[in-house]
Amino acid sequence: MRNKKAKNALLFILFVVPAVAFVLFATDIPFVMNLYYSVFDWNGIGKEMTFVGLDNFVKIFTNDTLFWKGVTFTLKFAVFYVVIVNILSLTVAVVMSKERKSSSVGRAFYYVPYIISLTAISLIWKFIFGPGFEALYEITGWEFFNWSWVGTPKLAFYVVVIMAVWQNLGFYMVNYIAGIIAVPKELIEAAKIDGANSFQVFRKITVPLIMPAMSICMLTSLTFAFKLFDIIMVFTKGGPANSTVTVAYNIYQEAFVRSNYGLATAKSLVFVVFVLAVTAVQMKITKSREVEA
Amino acid sequence: MKKKVVAVLLTAAMASTMLTACSGGSSDDTGTESNTENDAEESDGEEVILKVFDAHAYGLDEYAEMVEAFEEEHPGVTIEVQHAANDSSTLLQSRVNSGDIPDVFDVESGTSAQAYYEYAYDWTDDTDVTSLFNEDALATGVNEEGRVMSLPWTYENMGLLYNKDCFEQAGITELPTTMDELEEACKKLEAAGITPIALPAKETWVLGQLATHFMLDKELGAEGTSDALKSGELQFADLPHWDNLFRFLDLAVEYGPDKPLEMDWETSENMLANGQAAIIHMGDWCQSTLDSFNPDANLAFLPVPVGEGEADTTVLSSCNWTYIVNKDSEHLDLAKEYLTYILTSDMGQYWMCEGVGAVPGVTTEKEVVGALANDAKTYISEGKTDGWLHTIAPTSYGETCGPYLQAYMTGDMSQEEVTQLFQDFYTSGN
Amino acid sequence: MKKVKKVNILAILVFLCSIFWLMPLILIFLNSFKPYNDMMQHFLALPKSWSLAMYIETWEKFNFPMLIGNTLLYTVVTVLAIMLMAPMAAYKLARTKGKASGICFILLIMPMMVPFQSYMISLTRVVAKVNLTGTKMGQILVSIGLCMPLAVYMIHGFVKNVPIELEECARIDGASSIRIYFSIVLPLLKPILTTVVVLDTLATWNDIITNQLIVGGNARAMNIQNALYMQFSAQTSDWEHALPGIVMSMIPSLIFFIVMQKHIVGGVTAGAVKG
Repeated sequence: MRNKKAKNALLFILFVVPAVAFVLFATDIPFVMNLYYSVFDWNGIGKEMTFVGLDNFVKIFTNDTLFWKGVTFTLKFAVFYVVIVNILSLTVAVVMSKERKSSSVGRAFYYVPYIISLTAISLIWKFIFGPGFEALYEITGWEFFNWSWVGTPKLAFYVVVIMAVWQNLGFYMVNYIAGIIAVPKELIEAAKIDGANSFQVFRKITVPLIMPAMSICMLTSLTFAFKLFDIIMVFTKGGPANSTVTVAYNIYQEAFVRSNYGLATAKSLVFVVFVLAVTAVQMKITKSREVEA
Repeated sequence: MKKKVVAVLLTAAMASTMLTACSGGSSDDTGTESNTENDAEESDGEEVILKVFDAHAYGLDEYAEMVEAFEEEHPGVTIEVQHAANDSSTLLQSRVNSGDIPDVFDVESGTSAQAYYEYAYDWTDDTDVTSLFNEDALATGVNEEGRVMSLPWTYENMGLLYNKDCFEQAGITELPTTMDELEEACKKLEAAGITPIALPAKETWVLGQLATHFMLDKELGAEGTSDALKSGELQFADLPHWDNLFRFLDLAVEYGPDKPLEMDWETSENMLANGQAAIIHMGDWCQSTLDSFNPDANLAFLPVPVGEGEADTTVLSSCNWTYIVNKDSEHLDLAKEYLTYILTSDMGQYWMCEGVGAVPGVTTEKEVVGALANDAKTYISEGKTDGWLHTIAPTSYGETCGPYLQAYMTGDMSQEEVTQLFQDFYTSGN
Repeated sequence: MKKVKKVNILAILVFLCSIFWLMPLILIFLNSFKPYNDMMQHFLALPKSWSLAMYIETWEKFNFPMLIGNTLLYTVVTVLAIMLMAPMAAYKLARTKGKASGICFILLIMPMMVPFQSYMISLTRVVAKVNLTGTKMGQILVSIGLCMPLAVYMIHGFVKNVPIELEECARIDGASSIRIYFSIVLPLLKPILTTVVVLDTLATWNDIITNQLIVGGNARAMNIQNALYMQFSAQTSDWEHALPGIVMSMIPSLIFFIVMQKHIVGGVTAGAVKG
């Protein structure tokens, strides 16, 4: 009996520990080190650090409007992004999961932005919102092509949403396609024979069965939204007038531009606690809706 | 099923061989490094790697030539340069933290450089080297105690840049020296079908730099002004030219492109070089980019008309980048020699004068290639330039204050609010 | 009749929109043939000439064979290591209840919530502690560690839907746990594994930041995207070399995706996932 237990433990170690070790090394340990830095005033460069206790945390909650502006932006972005990207990618996946020649081409098209490097993406969008929109305005005469999307604080939010959705849609599409294709054809045919229309089939059969794929997409889109950084860094730079500063960008600036590494680590801790709370709730919700297969 | 098992096992086998293969390879890497450490102690004739961090992407070909020449003169020495032009401060910071401090590296002079001076070799007593530099250039690398902790690269000058052909086309014969004259010029340019001002307002750093022209008190000089602002002795609301900053931003919106806040540095330089825009705010560091757009563009400095007339106009000039030798370097003498080489030797001057096209901080007889740098030289020699304020401002000046000016341009903030925020930024740090 | 039409409209719309997603590829390709000034002035136009001169120059200037070699090494090793370890961990965690399992799972997926920028500096310190700064080994270990959380999470979600009965049958037949994993579980995971392979391959292939941080000054260990990115700064851009470089670096990943996506689709239908 004891032998079996030991064997099980050994198997667990063999299977799980290698993966954990790598993650400990690359993320968990560095992150725990942040706990230590967060109680110091340190510029991230010098040898000297001054112990300041909880001052950094006090500062975050009392005197940091930009951070909270970043939190608001990130939350608003998360809501828009998660909803839009999941609806769109699911729609595309429904069409692209049909087995026909054109589907595989279409899938590749939608995946293209996910493949291209970010530097190129920022270049492309600069010209789309610039000369591209200008040309469209001349052709159509529609006023919204003439708006300064990137240069107006209110509109810049939608620029970020559009870019993020556009860039990542392919990833979620692939996940949904994998889910949709796993739905047994017999079930669908049976339902159709019973007189259900396509939408009913989708609603009553496909959706419940792709819940696992959906919960993956929900969580990954949520965490992506919370960590949004790249698009801001290469494209909007947080502007105009700080209107697109996200939490991750604010933390980055605090650490590397304002040289307050201690404060930056404190911010990341506050934020992670917050994110963990939100994702825990979110996971509970999607899990409860998952159909046990 | 069996086939799949085989495939998986094969994959696993491949993975493990790859892992051992690459660990072998990388232990080679670390091996050479530790070898060089020993070799350096034993003899100078053996392999030595000097680690250099360079934050520029200018004159890269000439830089490579220079490195080659240095390596030829020093058999067994390899110069390993990281040209980290993008996010350079982040990368340098991470290298310092990983204990992998480059033997020679450069940072922006002023506030940013101060943070690195605890790692810096003190050049004060090496008068044979320091005497080669212009005094004002050398002054950009001095710490609070007056020690020379870093050596200057090239002079960089900034102000408004204008396209002479555009001015001619619009019939402007005299350079504007006040805001009223500037507005007149804008009207003429607009009538001639040229975008008068293409201010790169998307870039917060440009707006930050622009604002410093309007802060400067010529009596006090750059440093004096900066100190007075930080101590609160001088209040932003009382600055004599401060109102004109907002006047200028108004002009930049009114006589600028349709979408002023989408204008980035690249587009603004492109419009200027192609004669589509007449005036931008930038410095002579953009010479190589301007040349690649249009080598025949006829460009010059337009001293910023901040006040009442020509005497008030400003071109700001400083040695913006400064080189530090790591005082704990394993090859300290070699590092010193290399830095002296790139900043003072003929090859080094060739790199700065021709490759970069800028006036070096070292005294030189060489012709400087860049047209803008030469234009600025006339202002420098007449004593009409002043130092830079934004590099000696509190940390993150451009990134913090630039967005406030953007908010003014979009109409989200008033002049009073922006002025108050500048004031808070300057005085809250102390 | 009406039903069929409805679906078609949606399909047509989705296919039409796909052009909007393809467009960057076309624009990058067109502009990779233009001189800098032409690109700035006429971004949407066709290039004046289709000369490959800049492609060749980029290939040589950046020492592309070496860059491809490095990038390939990082990508292949990372993906193989993930493929080996992530499904094992995910499977075992999904099948084991208890505290240890829960803690390990949290350790594994917590990084998904943490912005990378917040622990960059600490990471470089950890890597320096084990003397791997500037080495290819350091780059590989970090990149495996960074890809692991999402991989484990995605596979974990999938394992939960794999019926446990098959395993129990095999166990009664006397198969060992390791044997069960490799011959029964792993083949069932093929669809999700394919997705993860695609994901991690592209992430490693396009990585800039870890390469900058870990490899830093060691030019011999640079990957493609980092080498190209180095040509940019706040005040200079070398698009004339960057765009041909981007096109060349993209061709392998594009081909890879086209090949793999057939497996994502084909794999599931062939697989034995129960409804």
